[in-house]
Amino acid sequence: MAIYSAEHRRLMRMLHPADHQDYSEVLSSLGAFMEKEVLPLSPKLDSGEASIAAPRRALFEQGMSRIPFPAEYGGLGLPFSVYAMAVELLGTADASMALSVEIHNAVAEGVLKFGNKAQKEGRLEGLLTGKTLASFALTEPASGSDAGTMATSAERKAGEFVINGSKMFITNAGEADVYLVFAKTKKGPSCFILDAPAKGLTFGQELKKLGMKGSKTHEVIFSGCTVPEENLVGEEGKGADYAKEILHGARIVVAALNVGISRLAYDKSLAYAKERKAFGRSISEFQLVRAKVADMKTGIDAARLLYLYASRVKEMGDDFASEASQAKVLATETSLRVCDDAIQIHGGYGYTTDDLHRHWRDARLLTIGEGTSEVLRMLIAKREMARES
Amino acid sequence: MKIAVCVKHAVDEAELKTDPSGRPVLAGAVSRMSAFDKNAVEEGLRLRAAHQGEVVVFTVGPADSKKTMKEALAMGADRGVLVVADTAAIDTMRTAGLLAAAIRRAGPFDLVLCSEGSSDTYSGQVPPMLGELLGAAFVGYARKFEVSGQLVRVERSLEDSVERVEAPLPLVASVVSEINEPRYPTLIQIMQAGKKPLEELSGDQLLPHGEYREASVVSMSVQQSARKRVLIEGSPDEAAAKLLDALTKEGVLAK
Amino acid sequence: MSPAVWAYSENEGVSNEVASAAVEVAEGASAEAVVVEIGALREGARSPGAKLLLKGPASPQVSPEVAAEALARAAKQAAPMAILIGATRNGREAASRLAAKLSVGCLSDGSKLGTDGSTLTAERNVFAGKVVAKLSCPLPAVATVKVGHYARADAAPGETREVDVGPIQPLVRVVGREKKAAGAVDLRSAKVIVSAGRGVKKKEDLPLLEELAKDMHGALGCSRPLSSDLGWLPEEYHIGLTGVTVRPDLYLAVGISGQLQHIAGIKDSKIVAAINTDKDAPIFQASDYGVVGDLYQLVPALRKALAARR
Repeated sequence: MAIYSAEHRRLMRMLHPADHQDYSEVLSSLGAFMEKEVLPLSPKLDSGEASIAAPRRALFEQGMSRIPFPAEYGGLGLPFSVYAMAVELLGTADASMALSVEIHNAVAEGVLKFGNKAQKEGRLEGLLTGKTLASFALTEPASGSDAGTMATSAERKAGEFVINGSKMFITNAGEADVYLVFAKTKKGPSCFILDAPAKGLTFGQELKKLGMKGSKTHEVIFSGCTVPEENLVGEEGKGADYAKEILHGARIVVAALNVGISRLAYDKSLAYAKERKAFGRSISEFQLVRAKVADMKTGIDAARLLYLYASRVKEMGDDFASEASQAKVLATETSLRVCDDAIQIHGGYGYTTDDLHRHWRDARLLTIGEGTSEVLRMLIAKREMARES
Repeated sequence: MKIAVCVKHAVDEAELKTDPSGRPVLAGAVSRMSAFDKNAVEEGLRLRAAHQGEVVVFTVGPADSKKTMKEALAMGADRGVLVVADTAAIDTMRTAGLLAAAIRRAGPFDLVLCSEGSSDTYSGQVPPMLGELLGAAFVGYARKFEVSGQLVRVERSLEDSVERVEAPLPLVASVVSEINEPRYPTLIQIMQAGKKPLEELSGDQLLPHGEYREASVVSMSVQQSARKRVLIEGSPDEAAAKLLDALTKEGVLAK
Repeated sequence: MSPAVWAYSENEGVSNEVASAAVEVAEGASAEAVVVEIGALREGARSPGAKLLLKGPASPQVSPEVAAEALARAAKQAAPMAILIGATRNGREAASRLAAKLSVGCLSDGSKLGTDGSTLTAERNVFAGKVVAKLSCPLPAVATVKVGHYARADAAPGETREVDVGPIQPLVRVVGREKKAAGAVDLRSAKVIVSAGRGVKKKEDLPLLEELAKDMHGALGCSRPLSSDLGWLPEEYHIGLTGVTVRPDLYLAVGISGQLQHIAGIKDSKIVAAINTDKDAPIFQASDYGVVGDLYQLVPALRKALAARR
């Protein structure tokens, strides 16, 4: 299997008629690397036999986190759609690694967009090369994506902010060197860069997840944790807006990630359907199996086109919140169905084989994480109703 | 140490299509750097890292060979020289002649590296010819180099033995693919490869035709597999029994 | 140009094959086949026709550099119409060097060699064996002869002539030679080969196939990923275009997808059988018998069935 397939190549040609060859060189090289260095490790990341750290570092060294960022900070300056497709490829190679990397990159995007000159110069090089790993600390035990209701506080004291509270379900927690922390000051939710290790920063037990097991998830606990004043990102009290903007971009990427998962589950199902026999025939000859194959592929292609469309809207500088949310809702829900169909096609083997049901377990996270389908549907409806015709 | 590496933009045999009359369609066929050439580039880069110097990559091929040159440059070669010629219409001697002329022009080089053969035609003739034409020592099928001063100790991988030889610089050598694991260029290297110097020369101008008798390809046809292609079905035990029955009938099971 | 076709190989057995090829080519041009020896005559090289001993180099153990120079010097005097050399690794080097020294064309790895008196023709596999190319080169010409294609001639040699080509000072000095691990040698002469591919999930499972090979009185081989990428087996086990070329009675490919590079190394097997989970795996197109299924079920089943039959 070539992770970067002829289909991907053709889409790049359609999206970027002038530069598609350069982009395809980048993506096919990255795909070849993932095929050799990440994909074979994926079952072991799921079972806990292998650690994500070394292959993730190798991937960073290849340049995975440089793709959409400007050259002045060490980025490649490539379009967002190229980056999103790179995450799709990584989602196929290993979903948990894609999740870890995607969140890391979302933090880099936040620093680039809302950080001041010193923050950008101090952090981006490390983040883009992956020498430092980042984590995004927004969600709390009692509040999800609704940043306004957060309980974690930051109090200004003698040139510092003192943070108290905790954050829940935090990816890359414990491993990360840089945390983008959202906490409430007098002026409202604000955004801070916190360097680890730090006094007063501790982590709960690693959370036992259904899937995405290669990535590490913990509760992050702040008890009198101090952050220098200059680590405040942007304006005090604007944190909720920043979080929203960062998440809009991340949703496109999460959509791409789920398309990557779906694609692998689909490929495996197709191969199995051709090989497995029942009643003296290959099961791929049965109409009901064929219907599944058709629906799986249709869903994957639609979701892929939609995340690429949202990427292009973002590249053009237009508001892309609705499109990004549509892409995420469609891609994540499609991947659940595709991975479920994959289990059905594999029958008993599907239910009992880690290597197959892990795709469903991995996919299951993302109708919840980074904006639930329910919240996103509200967002889409609200935006579309307000759209001037 | 000045190192030349010769690579080939070769038709990817896995993607080769056939026309209705059974001839391979070479016009417009998917081509990329011959897989084994990556080992030659990699070895050049490793020797450069150990002994300083420069790695210059050479190829003879159609203008499309730029892609292959770019890949070698992305891996880390310093610059490239592309001799434009219709490789489908010239033989190994002319290819070696063109490479020798281009290498002389850009040289002198201490070491010229090639792979053992290209993945498309795998004749392995060009490297030794190049050694002769450049008047340099030649060592084929190298799996290990050790350079000390002007002397190179080489391990050669032959069919059933490993031969240790010593050769002086300048040296032309072909390497086997077991010699190393080629690196992946990073994305930055891929993006920047296009900015590295790549010189284009015309083969016809570099070397006049008619220097010697040229071999040519008269015709090509796709080889039909004469295998029986019998598919055996059933439970593992049934399939195993059926397979053994068939093999016994063929008389190929050792007694 | 004299009506002579020369045959040479540094390998005694291959030398007899090349002699057969030279006899065939010579017939087409009413020429004489001449087996060339360098340094000294070898006992085992029994072949029909005349012999030409090139004196100068001290022993028949000559490097391809010395062989090419000796042949070139002799050929410049005697001007044979064609010089055929066995396509071993050293033979390929000697032939290529010789062609460059003589400024003549060189055909590679040829079978069905022939001549009409003005050109030398041959067939060879290209694109990893997917395509057969018919090649031609104006005489005089050099060609390497595909190993294992021509029968080994075995006849009393005819008269032996000698030519002194003088001393040769090579640039490359051979300082030692060691036999490779047994695998490669066994594979070339093995009657049965069981070969492992990517379908084997971990290194620890290889004994499963090793045992099957033992049960079948055969040898174990592998496809390139297992030796080159994963390093589970030494390079000497690697069967394929750049590895060992084999010609057993039975080649059983287990969990091998059948990339062209691999097929190129097993083409001359009498019977190819394959086990693979993917019905569309290209190996089945290149097999006489194929079983679609899980090697982890089929290999034990095969061993059981073999045991029951003995």
